Amino acid sequence: MADTAIPSAPTAGKEPLLRVEDLRKYFPIRQGFFGRSVTQVKAVDGVTFDVFPGETMAVVGESGCGKTTAGRCLVRAFEPTGGSILYRNLDGDEVALDALDNKSLKPVRRELRMIFQDPFSSLNPRMTVLDIIGDPLRVHSIASGSELEERVADMLLRVGLRPEYMRRYPHAFSGGQRQRIGIAKALILSPRLVVADEAVSALDVSVQAQILNLLQDLQAEFDLTYVFIAHDLSVVEYIANRVSVMYVGKMVETAATDELYHNPKHPYTEALLSAVPRPDPRERSQRIVLEGDVPDPAHPPSGCYFHPRCRYAQDVCATETPELRPIGEGHEVACHLAEDLDLRGITDLVPRD
Amino acid sequence: MSNKTHGASTDILLDIRGLKTYFHLDEGTVRAVDGVDFTVPRGTTIGIVGESGCGKSVTAFSILQLVEKPGRIEEGSIVLNTGGQNRVDIAALDHDSEELRQIRGKDIGMIFQEPMTSLSMMYTVGFQMTEAIRLHMDVEKDEARDRAIEMLQAVGIPRPEQRFDAYPFELSGGMRQRVMIAMALSCDPMLLIADEPTTALDVTTQAQILELMQQLQEEFGMAIMLITHDLGVVAEMCSEVVVMYLGEVVEQADVDTIFHNPQHPYTQALLESIPRLGHSHEGRLNPILGSVPDPYHRPSGCPFHPRCTQIITGRCETVHPDISRLDPRHTVRCLLHEESHG
Repeated sequence: MADTAIPSAPTAGKEPLLRVEDLRKYFPIRQGFFGRSVTQVKAVDGVTFDVFPGETMAVVGESGCGKTTAGRCLVRAFEPTGGSILYRNLDGDEVALDALDNKSLKPVRRELRMIFQDPFSSLNPRMTVLDIIGDPLRVHSIASGSELEERVADMLLRVGLRPEYMRRYPHAFSGGQRQRIGIAKALILSPRLVVADEAVSALDVSVQAQILNLLQDLQAEFDLTYVFIAHDLSVVEYIANRVSVMYVGKMVETAATDELYHNPKHPYTEALLSAVPRPDPRERSQRIVLEGDVPDPAHPPSGCYFHPRCRYAQDVCATETPELRPIGEGHEVACHLAEDLDLRGITDLVPRD
Repeated sequence: MSNKTHGASTDILLDIRGLKTYFHLDEGTVRAVDGVDFTVPRGTTIGIVGESGCGKSVTAFSILQLVEKPGRIEEGSIVLNTGGQNRVDIAALDHDSEELRQIRGKDIGMIFQEPMTSLSMMYTVGFQMTEAIRLHMDVEKDEARDRAIEMLQAVGIPRPEQRFDAYPFELSGGMRQRVMIAMALSCDPMLLIADEPTTALDVTTQAQILELMQQLQEEFGMAIMLITHDLGVVAEMCSEVVVMYLGEVVEQADVDTIFHNPQHPYTQALLESIPRLGHSHEGRLNPILGSVPDPYHRPSGCPFHPRCTQIITGRCETVHPDISRLDPRHTVRCLLHEESHG
């Protein structure tokens, strides 16, 4: 990563492209004959982060932590329950995405695109590759006929597929090729921000590396900004400039990737990093094995949601919910004890020789 | 391969020789497992790694004769040595036989990626466990119940007496995986086959399950055959590693050799293609060219040659390499080594 043109401090002196503040998305749980709403699942419950132009901002966490829901709120695939999403458009003005109606949202949607996890279910099996990738051009009345075909052919080349394949159907392609089709579809409208939700999780390891490299090349070529939603911390370390960690709908820590991996400030981040199996038998790490399961977001624990599983928990953790607060340069954490803990980063977790 | 050692050593629990499992489909024959040899020593953990379609799961299913039609074991032997002179070739048993049913679940337990493939929705955890126990052990109902609760306790399920009466859908993913492990271990098997046991789990839950498997192995002394695509899991868990590609074993060695002195170009490429924690500053990832070929169009010669960067042009496309033994514990199937080791 050192030789690519990513500045070490991507946030320095730039205005954020996206500002997410106190984003909330609650899903009602309905019960009974009339579908009365009895309670709510707070899938995303107060998420705050900025995304700067040209960077890759990763959102990590375990299943059910709300990372996918948050990502879908960013592209307004879900209507947020509360909070604001401010997007800086090409003219430099900030637009409140959460407040736009469908008509005024349409031009913005061209600039915000999404890549999905499953390259098997996210492509319509009855459409040719040409139709799949060209569809956004048609919907936004940008191109049609031979011009559309030309643009699709050009995009296919850029994602490493042969333009001759454009009349084929998705089933004729391997998983990695389908993910390339999904990427081509996301990029055909020349977006500025791409939300990639577990974009490489379903792929074989050898193909995963191809797609990660492709995403980096395209980022440099088209000046893209990524919000990269993932659970694989090795992949995230490789591709992201900054990382936010989510736990039960809340953001618990945000920092530059190196800082977060080497100097975590939240006990949950420490445990996550320690749990990643290292592909080297000489680096068998000292796993911190968390007790129990991720809590049900419909019935979260009191205070800090992580306290029942936290090995450092004090009395205060069970009663007061910690707010996300700065703890260093570009480093934010939601933990009462952050200053007092000496947590282990990835280099401290393996025995050094 | 010399046959002299075949089954001679009592340290060998399972000895697989020349195993071929094919699927006969309308589109053609898929050679899912195509001449696989390896041995599982008693009480150790052996990892079977490879990408999708390499035949690792079919190998596991073959060991229990669970391959369903149109799949069939064509050739080879799977010799299980249950101790002393008790050797049985599983591949030669009738798939319906009482003897095989005794091996499944009693001598060899199996856990899957998705716990619901081996747990039924309709019955309580306790019912399913006691049924399995009473099928394989000559015990009364109460004894089976005690045994089941003891096993639930051993796999770290809180309040096992209550969970005994729970239905699988009432449990979280990690808990179900624990129940499945408890069930697989309830008859004290000598071999536990674990097919991607943690792939569907979150990383913290995965850590719990891996830790549990290591503990249980220390306690019960069973051998574990761990099938996974995750090289991190292999490095943490296994002492011996078998690397598969398109139905063949391409390399086998102890875990340190596989990770620090791999000799097959596929093993080398696989290790270079993965991102590693703490190594992200070392430049771009090195992907393997192309993707795993579709099973109907198996490449000629060495099946890896179209993706290999060390191809010997004119040879690898036509000659199917034999196994070369580099040292007693390290074998590789590649022409680069056949040349030098004759």
